[in-house]
Amino acid sequence: MAAVNAGRWLALCAGAAAAVLLGIHFIGSGFGPFPVEWNIGLRQPIDGFQSWVIGNRSTHPIFLFVFGPFSAFVDWGLRAAENILLWLPWPVTVWLFAALAWQVANWRITVVTVCGLLFMGLMGLWEQSMQTLALMVIAVSLSLLVSVPLGILAARHAHLQQILRPILDLMQTMPAFVYLIPVLLFFGVARVPSVVATMIYAIPPGIRLTELGLRQVSPPVVEAARAFGATRRQLLWHVQLPLALPAIMAGVNQTIMMALSIVIIAALIGAGGLGREVLVALQRLQVGRALEAGLAVVLLAIIMDRISDALANRQSEIYVAGANTGYAAKRPAWQRARIVVPLVAAVLLLAALVLGVQSFPEAARLPLYQPVDVAVGWMRDNLYRIGNSGWGTGPLSDLITIRMLDPLRALFAHGLAWPVQVALAVCAGAALSGFPLALQAGLGLFAIGMLGMWELAMDTVSQVVVAVAISIVLAVPLGIWAARSAWVDALLRPILDTLQTIPSFVFLVPVIMLFNVGRVPGVIASVLYALPPGIRLTTLGLRQVNDEVREAARAFGSSSWQLLTKVELPLALPSILLGINQVIMMALAMVVISGLVGGAGLGLEAVIGLAKGQTGRGIEAGLAIAILAIIPDRMLHAAAHRLQPPV
Amino acid sequence: MVDAMSIKSGLSPGADSEPKVVVRNLWKVFGPHAQRVLAALQSGDSKQQAALEGGHVVAVRDATFSVQPGEIFVIMGLSGSGKSTLVRCISRLIEPTGGYIAVGGAEVTAMDAAQLMQLRRHSLSMVFQHFGLFPHRTVLQNAAYGLEVQGVPLAQREARAREMLELVGLAGWADSRPQRLSGGMQQRVGLARALAVDPAVLLCDEPFSALDPLIRRDMQDELLRLQQMMHKTILFITHDFLEALKLGDRIAIMKDGRLVQVGTPEEIVSNPAGDYVREFTRDAPRAKVITARSLAQARAGVEAPAVAASTRLEELLQRMAAGETQLCVREEDGTLLGVVDQAAVLRALAGAAPR
Ligand SMILES: Nc1ncnc2c1ncn2[C@@H]1O[C@H](COP(=O)(O)OP(=O)(O)O)[C@@H](O)[C@H]1O
Ligand SMILES: [Mg+2]
Repeated sequence: MAAVNAGRWLALCAGAAAAVLLGIHFIGSGFGPFPVEWNIGLRQPIDGFQSWVIGNRSTHPIFLFVFGPFSAFVDWGLRAAENILLWLPWPVTVWLFAALAWQVANWRITVVTVCGLLFMGLMGLWEQSMQTLALMVIAVSLSLLVSVPLGILAARHAHLQQILRPILDLMQTMPAFVYLIPVLLFFGVARVPSVVATMIYAIPPGIRLTELGLRQVSPPVVEAARAFGATRRQLLWHVQLPLALPAIMAGVNQTIMMALSIVIIAALIGAGGLGREVLVALQRLQVGRALEAGLAVVLLAIIMDRISDALANRQSEIYVAGANTGYAAKRPAWQRARIVVPLVAAVLLLAALVLGVQSFPEAARLPLYQPVDVAVGWMRDNLYRIGNSGWGTGPLSDLITIRMLDPLRALFAHGLAWPVQVALAVCAGAALSGFPLALQAGLGLFAIGMLGMWELAMDTVSQVVVAVAISIVLAVPLGIWAARSAWVDALLRPILDTLQTIPSFVFLVPVIMLFNVGRVPGVIASVLYALPPGIRLTTLGLRQVNDEVREAARAFGSSSWQLLTKVELPLALPSILLGINQVIMMALAMVVISGLVGGAGLGLEAVIGLAKGQTGRGIEAGLAIAILAIIPDRMLHAAAHRLQPPV
Repeated sequence: MVDAMSIKSGLSPGADSEPKVVVRNLWKVFGPHAQRVLAALQSGDSKQQAALEGGHVVAVRDATFSVQPGEIFVIMGLSGSGKSTLVRCISRLIEPTGGYIAVGGAEVTAMDAAQLMQLRRHSLSMVFQHFGLFPHRTVLQNAAYGLEVQGVPLAQREARAREMLELVGLAGWADSRPQRLSGGMQQRVGLARALAVDPAVLLCDEPFSALDPLIRRDMQDELLRLQQMMHKTILFITHDFLEALKLGDRIAIMKDGRLVQVGTPEEIVSNPAGDYVREFTRDAPRAKVITARSLAQARAGVEAPAVAASTRLEELLQRMAAGETQLCVREEDGTLLGVVDQAAVLRALAGAAPR
């Protein structure tokens, strides 16, 4: 109670301060841009450190005994995986994948898997796909090697969990982009940094879901095992882990999806494979080629998602259906598969080696890019401006730029003086949570200024704000509609599922087909990327409204509108706010990536830092991005928490 | 067997005036082909019936009853017998599959959406088993909800809501969130919310079932107290036979969607229709339910002290214990109904049917 009052008081003070500052700003000479003298000059020491690292990489013990061996080990693993996958003749690889899909899932997923792999070959992307796959295999295995044991430990030791939680929160809040630069510094060039960056991003869900799975094991079951005298170790291996397996497998699925999404971004630091293919094609504006590679990424994502998802579901089905129906029934099939699968693989392998088949034949190349490029050309000519109607993607793009992006950027960068903005951030933090958040928000914004990133940050903020606003305007009504109509829900579900499996990077491809380069494609791609969680959490929030409460509202004669506005929406608001938070996080992650296709701001700065090896510059931009992600995340969580009615 | 059972209409306050709620031949079938199942059920074609009922639940079967103004009409039945469905059909929160319903003379089953909304806003109120309070609103805002959706101005509706909160003894809690209140207090809020719109009919779906036994008794007394002041027409659902006896002017007993007996508590206890109902009456507090009226035997020329027809069995017992052997039973207006003797009192107490 006291904390809330103090927060309110502080919010009032900060609001008053903002008002006074605003007054000074408009009446007097005002404030200039963020003072250059206050730049803390992070860039020089970092660049100095970078030189030191480069100079000492082969001599200093920390590199010789920690980073060096680790890098060598990862690099060895990568090479091995890649060599095997590239050496295996493609029919063998397809056969093995098909057998896996058939075993863990159903014929439909098997067909998708086979078609997907063949598509990669036909697009002339077999090698790149295998490279990406190798990177995935190594990154995912290493991630699981860290995350599952940590998850087990966190489930058993409350202290560890308390230490881990904020770290995991932070890791998941920051756009993936931000990791790339420091990782690059410590793990050198080549592909090791991409593995490390992928691990940082993919480890949190593994830890979370392992821990969750273990905690969810029903206490009576654990008690029963204890009563029979099981030791802690026996308890873990015989009872807890088997029962937590569905959740752990869900964690594996999440780890794979996270890894795939960043493996593509990691192309920026030399990960090669499909990501590089998309990146290069995007930079050269070869939309057809980018689409081919993008489709290959999506197919890889769908294959891995469906197979690992089927694996997780099968685990839980075994428990639900009981050993008799699920597991035991599949036993004979397993036994047979154990013989048939390697046998066929061996035969295929021999045949392929004899015939000299290995990589996918060049002759079978299907030039999808040609019609796509023609289509893109046509769209540029015809959709950009549709006749003289004033419609088309060009005018839409202009509308977004001139009516939304430019005025907002002007407002944030110059219109509102920086002290006013800091005061407003403090005010919001205090009002939503209290002193700590107010302090964090104020200091965070101030730090962006001191990093010398104020203007660039405000450019990025204007893009994020526009993307988020459009996303919310679309997502909330769609979410409401889906909650009310089973029909709409059934229609939306597969679309959202697909959108959510696509790595962020790939969204840029179709968008630049229509919108050219600049800030707008980034905004549009952000909207597409961020819509699914916005819609999902709105629908979820509305669905969770207690039936009796809803019925009570109806019984008192509420109209449909009254039911929605007076009861359902207020009760769903915490969930909707979390959806908006997700929208912001995803839009921010995407807007940063859009630096690649001409979106200005922090993204471009980070890309330049990466591309030119200017680590200091890249890290400054990365820090600013991280701050921009953390502040709204904390605020919206605080808001959602406040609105949650106590149970 | 159940069909043959006579449905009696007992004496109740204002039995001769226009009934407030009329339900005739009400059916509710859940499932994809509800109408077809209903047609089959009504035609009595048993073979087709069995084929169609798969995947369907017949929650209410041919229910007919009426509720008089100012009466507490209790519907009693075990869980799953269709009580909640029946009461929701009356405000059409659940759409009936067939039958006729009228409230205050207006035919509910013929109303369009707008009329229905007006009916729910002004004539019907509901109290829920798990209270159904809005967790994002204060106690006061909860109590004012019905008036708010009617469009009553803020000051006016809050004044009325405060009045209601005072009535149920929650004057000091207006600005709390409902979750902070105990179960009994939460249901008082539910009552205040329902009464605030001054409804003609109050629908209560097991309002006290989620409460502890002691609190439940308090709330039953509270309801009776409020009823003495307000004279609402109340449809009260419960699965607790003792609660039904305590509150009901009349009780309808429901089994598998059918009303198997409708009558005053006394009629049901002293003359249960079939074994199913008798099973409930076994533990009934006969001495509190049965009155001299149902025990009186016509016998001429007996000289004995007189008692009123509404005198309860427990008091008769005391009189007998004090030495009386016979008592004359008279209506309020003085007409002689008959005589009660010791044997009749003992038989009634033992649960045997009157001769
Ligand atoms: N929406 C529904 N769909 C299908 N069956 C239902 C539905 N609601 C209730 N039922 C069924 O109707 C029967 C009566 O339920 P209900 O009216 O809730 O009983 P009660 O309130 O007496 O416990 C039960 O068998 C229940 O399963
Ligand atoms: Mg019920």
